[in-house]
Amino acid sequence: MFGLHYKLERNTIGFALAVIVVAGIGGFVEIAPLFTVDETVEEAPNMRVYTPLELAGRNIYIREGCYACHSQMIRTLRDEVERYGPYSLAVESKYDHPMLWGSKRTGPDIARLGGKYSDQWHVAHLNNPRDVVPESIMPSYAYLGRAELKANDLGLHLKAMRAVGVPYTDEMIANATSDTYGQAMPDSTFSSGLSKRYGDKTTVRDFDGVAGQVTEMDALVAYLQILGKLTDAAYSPVAKAED
Amino acid sequence: MDIDHNIAVVVAKSFGLFYLIALSIGVLVYVYWPSNGKRFDDAAKNVIHDEDAPWH
Amino acid sequence: MVSQLTRNERQLALVILSALALCGLAMAAIGRDDLIGGHGAFILLASLGMGFVVTSGYYHAEPSDERLAHYYDDPSKVGIVLAMIWVVFGLFIGDWVAWLLVYPEMTFDGGWASFGRLRPIHTTAVIFGFGGNALIATSFHVLQRTSRARLPDQLSPWFVLLGYNLFCLLAVTGYSMGLTQSKEYAEPEWYADIWLVIVWVTYFVLYLRTLARRKEPHIYVANWYYMAFILVVAVLHIVNNLAVPVSIAHAKSYSLFSGVQDAMTQWWYGHNAVAFFLTAGFLGMMYYYLPKKAGRPIFSYRMSIISFWGITFMYMWAGSHHLHYTALPQWVQTLGVTFSVMLLVPSWASAGNALLTLNGAWHKVRDDATLRFMMVAAIFYGLSTFEGSFMAIRPVNALSHYTDWTVGHVHAGALGWVALITFGSFYSVVPWLWKRERMYSAKLVELHFWLALAGTIIYVFAMWNSGIIQGLMWRTYNDSGTLAYSFVDSLIAMRPYYIARAIGGLLFLIGAAVGFYNIWMTARGALEESPTNADRPAAVPVAARTIEAGE
Repeated sequence: MFGLHYKLERNTIGFALAVIVVAGIGGFVEIAPLFTVDETVEEAPNMRVYTPLELAGRNIYIREGCYACHSQMIRTLRDEVERYGPYSLAVESKYDHPMLWGSKRTGPDIARLGGKYSDQWHVAHLNNPRDVVPESIMPSYAYLGRAELKANDLGLHLKAMRAVGVPYTDEMIANATSDTYGQAMPDSTFSSGLSKRYGDKTTVRDFDGVAGQVTEMDALVAYLQILGKLTDAAYSPVAKAED
Repeated sequence: MDIDHNIAVVVAKSFGLFYLIALSIGVLVYVYWPSNGKRFDDAAKNVIHDEDAPWH
Repeated sequence: MVSQLTRNERQLALVILSALALCGLAMAAIGRDDLIGGHGAFILLASLGMGFVVTSGYYHAEPSDERLAHYYDDPSKVGIVLAMIWVVFGLFIGDWVAWLLVYPEMTFDGGWASFGRLRPIHTTAVIFGFGGNALIATSFHVLQRTSRARLPDQLSPWFVLLGYNLFCLLAVTGYSMGLTQSKEYAEPEWYADIWLVIVWVTYFVLYLRTLARRKEPHIYVANWYYMAFILVVAVLHIVNNLAVPVSIAHAKSYSLFSGVQDAMTQWWYGHNAVAFFLTAGFLGMMYYYLPKKAGRPIFSYRMSIISFWGITFMYMWAGSHHLHYTALPQWVQTLGVTFSVMLLVPSWASAGNALLTLNGAWHKVRDDATLRFMMVAAIFYGLSTFEGSFMAIRPVNALSHYTDWTVGHVHAGALGWVALITFGSFYSVVPWLWKRERMYSAKLVELHFWLALAGTIIYVFAMWNSGIIQGLMWRTYNDSGTLAYSFVDSLIAMRPYYIARAIGGLLFLIGAAVGFYNIWMTARGALEESPTNADRPAAVPVAARTIEAGE
């Protein structure tokens, strides 16, 4: 019987299997229950999905690696709740493929950034952070304002998001490109169906303040302004923090 | 497959412990089984003496 | 290189390269409106270039069967040189981003030079470029010696090594263009991930095939660690990178998981990448090169087996300590802490085993900087595993998480443990591989040692200070019960530490460049003498034997 391991290591495939079993069970036991759990992700019936413009902005946020310095996860600690707002609920990142909780705060947490500053502040800050926060060490993202947003394939992006479980409707997918323009061009004809599809609270503004063109700056600011605002679930139970 | 969360959690919380204990005992018994000692000593010593070429 | 392949292998190489070139062409054509097209063109050019190399050597005489009487070490040699190129490049980028936090204006108004895009280039270049190449190169060397068997063929080791480097190049070029999944340490997009799976499966099969040919019945413990590294990294990589591409013509993909499940999967991956890439693999390195260089068998072989199963079992449970006080269920967090603390036992057993092996050979450690690299690496391994367990405890983590303390901890492990054990192993193995009596310059090894040690200590102390100050400032209240400091206040307090960190990193970078030069000169010296004979151990019997002379 105790020759078992001896045989195992003589038999390299058996050894490989042993490693997988020993190592694999830990991962399985920890992760699998999260997929069966109902309590892991709370209910939030009013939770809305990202508009195509916000999703494009989120992709720019990912592309530029903003998550390397900004977290989007307020922990259940008193000082964090007082500094940043109600702690983050699991449901708030339900449609985040992938999540952008982050692991480092070289800059502050921005889980509840939406609505905290004006669009003008964001544009000025992204153009040159030191114009509005002299001590900032954030890079300048002025080139976003010069880059036209690529919107013609956003329908495909929505479709891929639907494939991984985000409830985009056929109508949303079909109108993805025009909705993108509509959200950043309040006076255009594109804006009409947007609030019908994504809800009345959808912000329709010229985010970057430059009319006539939808830039990457529009998209990123639109995303930053929706952070923490897809649902108000975090505000309904009074958020209590641990000490 | 109809695993509900409670079952998954119970399995995770209980089975893991026994799995750990069983594994530790298994490894310890194997490692200290007297007849294995010589093989381990040989293995430890053999790598020191390098060889220029594969054995045939 | 081509002249050592048999005719069949040359043909197979051309078939593989043609298939790869076709894939590149298809990607370039279908994805011409997207960045994936650029990567397609890159793959096409790379495979055409390699195809040219193989074709130009195609009609060389076939290698004789005499080759089978020797180990096949050329892939290891190339791997070591590639690892040194990657480490100098990766450390350079790392120091660059460190200075960016001091001088944020240095971005030339371009996306490619901003912190967010350069940082994954740094992490990928050092972890995967340097660490991965070092592991592949040394694993081939150790595997053959401990099995007393030659690699089963000449083609698959090249496929693994060069294919892996193609993956690394796709990764770093992708980030600079903005291609990233945003999953830390798993940033490359779907097509690069698929390619890595192919390379990795070949690597595993190569390992199994060589082990199956072994003449030594017992598999030496170093191979256990290398095998665990290969196997578990494969599992982690596949699961964490599950994603749906926007279309076949798009580089962009959307992760299969979202929110809390994605976070748990990501940090299960992230933590176990540390465990099985940066720990298990390098422990394998240590368990071979340390006893060999010291000329003493490992202190306790039994302990190495116990540590092996302990590490393999327990690391997998520990990932959730990255997500304390978040929306992750508390029982998963508790499980993570428990196992993180228990991990200290096998970790310290490994570190202790290494140090006790040196007990009785301290005079060698004093005289030989190569052994000193390995000794200090074992000490840093012990320190950073202790620190890791400590930081996994919830109240400590409340302070340390999101701060520079984490960065300091990671670098204590990455510089102090991973890089130092690798340099120590390289300085041991390079003279053996190139059949030189010793390294080109012992003084430069000594210089490298002190630069590396000083750099690591400055770096880690700077980050400890900044991290703890940061954490404390964020949670300090004044008498009236409100937060005492704004975020910007903490940012201003960081500046001196960021400067110190960048200087520490610079020292480490200079050390690595010195090491590269030394290794290059050692290799070149042999080439100048007798390039063909260098591959024949029988012609140079002194090389391996002299190592034991001090014993």
